[in-house]
Amino acid sequence: MFVDWIVGHAIPLLLFIPAVSGVIAWLLDRDSFGELKDVFGLIGGLSPLVIIAITYGRLGDGIKWTVDTGVFKLFFHLGYMSWYLSAVAAVVAAAMAFGMVSTSRSGYEWMFALFSVSGLLGVFLSGDFAGFFLFWELMTFASFMMVLRYNKGASLKYFVLSIIGAYAMLLAIAILYAKTGTLEFQSLRGMIYNSIYGMVPLTKTDTILVYALFLLAFGVKAGTWPLHVWAPDAYSETNQSYTSFFSGALSKAGVYGFVLMFILLGIKLYVDMGTFHGHMVFTYILAWLGAITVVVAGFLAVLQEDLRKLLAYSSVSQVGYIVLALGIGSGIGFAGAFFHILSHAVFKGLFWLITAALILRTGKTKFEDFGGLAEKMPVTFAMALIAVLSLAGIPPMAGFASKWLIYEAAISAHMPLVAGAIFLGSGLAFAYVVRFLYSIWFGQRPSDLEDVEEAPLPLLIGMAILAIPNIVFGIAPGLAVKLINKFIPNSGVAANGYYSISTGVGTYNALSVTLILVVGLAIAGLIYIYGAKARKIPVTDTYQSGNPVTEDYNLSIRRNFYRPLAEALEFWLRYSFDRFYARLARMAEDFADSLREGFYNGNVQSYSWYLAIVLLILALWGVL
Amino acid sequence: MFDWKLILEAIGMIIYATFVGFIFMGIERKAMARIQRRIGPPIYQPIIDTLKLLGKKESVSHGFIYDFGPIFALGASITALLFLPIANFQLFSSNADLIVVAYLLEVPMLGIMLGAMSSGNPYSAVGVQRGLLTMVAMQLPYGLALIALIQYYGSFKLSDIVALQSLHGWSILVPALLIAMVVFDIVFQAMLGLEPFDIITAPAEISMGPMVEYGGKHAALLFTQHAVQLFAETAFFAILFLGGASNLLELLVKQIAVLFIAIFIASIYPRFTIDQAAKFFWKWPTILGIIAVLLTM
Repeated sequence: MFVDWIVGHAIPLLLFIPAVSGVIAWLLDRDSFGELKDVFGLIGGLSPLVIIAITYGRLGDGIKWTVDTGVFKLFFHLGYMSWYLSAVAAVVAAAMAFGMVSTSRSGYEWMFALFSVSGLLGVFLSGDFAGFFLFWELMTFASFMMVLRYNKGASLKYFVLSIIGAYAMLLAIAILYAKTGTLEFQSLRGMIYNSIYGMVPLTKTDTILVYALFLLAFGVKAGTWPLHVWAPDAYSETNQSYTSFFSGALSKAGVYGFVLMFILLGIKLYVDMGTFHGHMVFTYILAWLGAITVVVAGFLAVLQEDLRKLLAYSSVSQVGYIVLALGIGSGIGFAGAFFHILSHAVFKGLFWLITAALILRTGKTKFEDFGGLAEKMPVTFAMALIAVLSLAGIPPMAGFASKWLIYEAAISAHMPLVAGAIFLGSGLAFAYVVRFLYSIWFGQRPSDLEDVEEAPLPLLIGMAILAIPNIVFGIAPGLAVKLINKFIPNSGVAANGYYSISTGVGTYNALSVTLILVVGLAIAGLIYIYGAKARKIPVTDTYQSGNPVTEDYNLSIRRNFYRPLAEALEFWLRYSFDRFYARLARMAEDFADSLREGFYNGNVQSYSWYLAIVLLILALWGVL
Repeated sequence: MFDWKLILEAIGMIIYATFVGFIFMGIERKAMARIQRRIGPPIYQPIIDTLKLLGKKESVSHGFIYDFGPIFALGASITALLFLPIANFQLFSSNADLIVVAYLLEVPMLGIMLGAMSSGNPYSAVGVQRGLLTMVAMQLPYGLALIALIQYYGSFKLSDIVALQSLHGWSILVPALLIAMVVFDIVFQAMLGLEPFDIITAPAEISMGPMVEYGGKHAALLFTQHAVQLFAETAFFAILFLGGASNLLELLVKQIAVLFIAIFIASIYPRFTIDQAAKFFWKWPTILGIIAVLLTM
């Protein structure tokens, strides 16, 4: 009874509970209310997960909801695809809410964090462009406000790029509306299909323009090269618990935008842009953008000296995998992209929560200030190990299963160089996660970290929420593939039971890999146990070319760990889109300055000259 | 319920691979000695070394991860081994394909690095850094060689690749795949940790790099891991390019052939520095790899 009511009202509940409880949390931000704001924050953060869980298996033909705002009619639709994406977002939102309990400083943060949850869910659930754009803007604004609280420069960079993206999208929507007269996805898709036969006046030029604008709009949100420059600053300069949602889930809005582009415009783009060596041109461009993003962001992540920056670039690189997988354009590619959306959300969300815990407990972010924390924060370290194994793609983890699908897709679609980029990207991923492991958890501990404590309980709960899917979907990838196959018919990926997936040309049985790995570990463990008992010695009791070591020497390499790589890449590192945009921004500023000084010069005579010139123009026009 | 025959085969294979892997290590030392006009140790020397290490009265540890690293490495090597179709034994190869095995062959490296890092030794750290940079550098040509192979055969399954080779002849008889083989062989040198790419351990430079802190039973584990890994990697090479094998003897001949090429190259080339290695890998092997890949499209 109650359940049916929730299922019937799932969409308004999903959209409003987070936002409303965010506002309440903000209103309750007084000392006299104590911890009440956290309670409302938790309600807002956990409600999407509960509602999404209740609607599982009750979707039928999809749950619909329509609002008539007078000007627009907003359509919402909870189908299998939007359910899947919302479920991913809801899991990350729940983890974020627990993290925020520990790290949020005010009701302000709760409000905007929960606004972005509502915004993202709205983007996924919208059935027309009006709602899509409305929630897109809500999401952008809320995340901007979160960054603004911490760093003005980073937030403005993010805001300007997002606004450029958003208005590119608005322009594209306007073109589509002008030509087809509808904003609603279902009928828009039909209209665009008709336009191939000339029944709707959407010309080839229009299509390519819309494509370019969408590429800009969604590329910004997804952090696709060369529009990724906002991500490293924005991801790092905010509340790190919030970043788990920002980077884990919010970046998927851009990816969803690309998916939407495929659904609405796919056939038209194929007809108008043709093929190149057997690949559709419009997907091929996307695949290459993804491949470049994977490699460039991977290299930059390896060379970072700040924990948050490393994870931010890594996030850009991993979203590049998703864009690349979409760009492959085959059923396996889509399945891989959707699976990687899930696994990236869970492992990167986990990484950011760990960062939140580290910053909360130590207050440091640079690698050179950390060291030897594995003994001080063992549970957090265990979580970090899960995140690292998943990101690096070690077989019984979710990160491997999704990457495996992307490999298979890229190679069987005959995109060898794109697939080569994935190989390079995964080598880079190995390199930067090891940097993260080494600098923070191992080696000598600086003396000011002696009294560091384990992360607080809410943060640990948040981490556990994200760690479990990493393992579950890793051992049972069939589970995720079954969900994905519901909305991608003929994906070419089959789930043989829960544990095994196959693509027709290859198979991956995760359970057998796990079991054999366990057996292998047991054999190795037996050899270990057979040997003499080990005596534990401190890290300072170590080999230093036969010299004695004291506490005063810092033996751990914390700075410029990958210096040889930086030297090998010297030529490429001279070019930076970061600096290019900064220069562009300075030029625009200078231009605005010169305009101001040139026109508003305070000279009365020049103002009368302007008047004279305008009159002259009007006279020439024949008005006067 | 249980497939007892398969389990027995797997156990037998682990024992056989470990033994043969140790013998390979012995062959490596013996051949190197002969090339330098020494007599060298007996061929079973690595087994004696390992047993000696296991028999040490005491070993030291820097904590849980320090112990777990070598165990994880050996476990992952065994896993990689069991997913290869070795000669007429299919073992578990129907459950995982080439991409999974290629990944599993790299996982032991992470285990070793994990343990090495937790020791907090600066030499280990330099070794880890070099190891990862080598891996980053070799990944692109390695990937391209595998992609060329997969594109040519149209299958990711190792057993399919072997079957197709027994029908149509070895991979290296196809010109494009011969180029891929050359690329793979260059990368192979780095995978085995031999000169000119023995940058990770670099005995004379950074005192064995990641392994510098390991002694006693930990070192014994790492020796065993190296033996299993050596067997698995040479078998992987034979499966991909030399037509697999119909029995263990044939496989052994192919493995030793592959091993000898590696030893001959290793014994006459000095070591690259890490940035030289990166630049090298991104130049000739990558270009050859791209040619191979384009020829198989």
